[in-house]
Amino acid sequence: MSTLLPEPHAYRPGKLAKLRDGLRYQGGIGQWSWMFHRITGIGILIFLIIHVIDTFFVVFNPALYDHTVAIYGGVFNGQYFWPLRWAFRLAELGLMATVLYHAINGVRVILFDFWSEGCKYQKESFTAVMIVFLALMLPAAVVVILPLASAPDHMVKVPENTPVQP
Amino acid sequence: MARNRIKPQGGFELTAWYFMRISGLVLVFLALGHLFIMHIANNVENINYAFVAGRWANPRTGWIWRLWDMSMIALAMLHGFNGLRQILDEYVHGAKARVAVHTTLWMVMTTLLLMGSYAIWMFQVDKAYVDQYRALNPAAASASAAR
Repeated sequence: MSTLLPEPHAYRPGKLAKLRDGLRYQGGIGQWSWMFHRITGIGILIFLIIHVIDTFFVVFNPALYDHTVAIYGGVFNGQYFWPLRWAFRLAELGLMATVLYHAINGVRVILFDFWSEGCKYQKESFTAVMIVFLALMLPAAVVVILPLASAPDHMVKVPENTPVQP
Repeated sequence: MARNRIKPQGGFELTAWYFMRISGLVLVFLALGHLFIMHIANNVENINYAFVAGRWANPRTGWIWRLWDMSMIALAMLHGFNGLRQILDEYVHGAKARVAVHTTLWMVMTTLLLMGSYAIWMFQVDKAYVDQYRALNPAAASASAAR
């Protein structure tokens, strides 16, 4: 296997110049899609850690689980707060966009790995990624954001915890 | 091999390289399917304990959801933490610091994977709790009955 890499990028001394040079590494759409792939990857991992912990509640404390998911719906301690609901709905949309970008761009990366001509179509393939992303994201945005126009269906009341009945 | 693509020559890194691509492709379906079910077909306002119980403890289809969630958490954890390891390896060069980073990542990953697996396999429905919840939230009860 040949690795025809360009000469290593020359970094100027100094932390700030180094950061600026690092951000301009090779440049172009390939670099930015790569950087977004990393940022979205880290974002998804942070969410995943929170998500595993909140789903863990389900097995030992149903009331704590319902209390937690009620917050995601904008209800805290049996009281509805609209900014809470808005914040979580928008964050939900952000999460979907993040996962969707990482998924579609990941498929593009795999195509490059197994189809040697792929890298020649860096720009075209990124345009394709963006088209697929928007085609899936716009309807999703409508579905997620539209319910915010009306009040929530019901207020959530969480009962006291009861021991697990096998 | 295409220009400018770096593929490891062998050993653990090559296995990890293949794992990232295979798990990534599987996760496209598992994770996007999960997002569709949870955020499009349902939403954060009708997901609750009773909803989770209805999926995992369903006598006919429960095992499918548990298998789905189990595969998803295992692949996502390994994929995510290996990705973070690769990023950190580019910035952390000291031998001691690397050992510390790798140890921390493996410990956190294993803990989360054990927590998730425990929740998925050990889940039992608390029927008394679900009845209490439905009694307190008649609107939620009718909404879940309509599904």
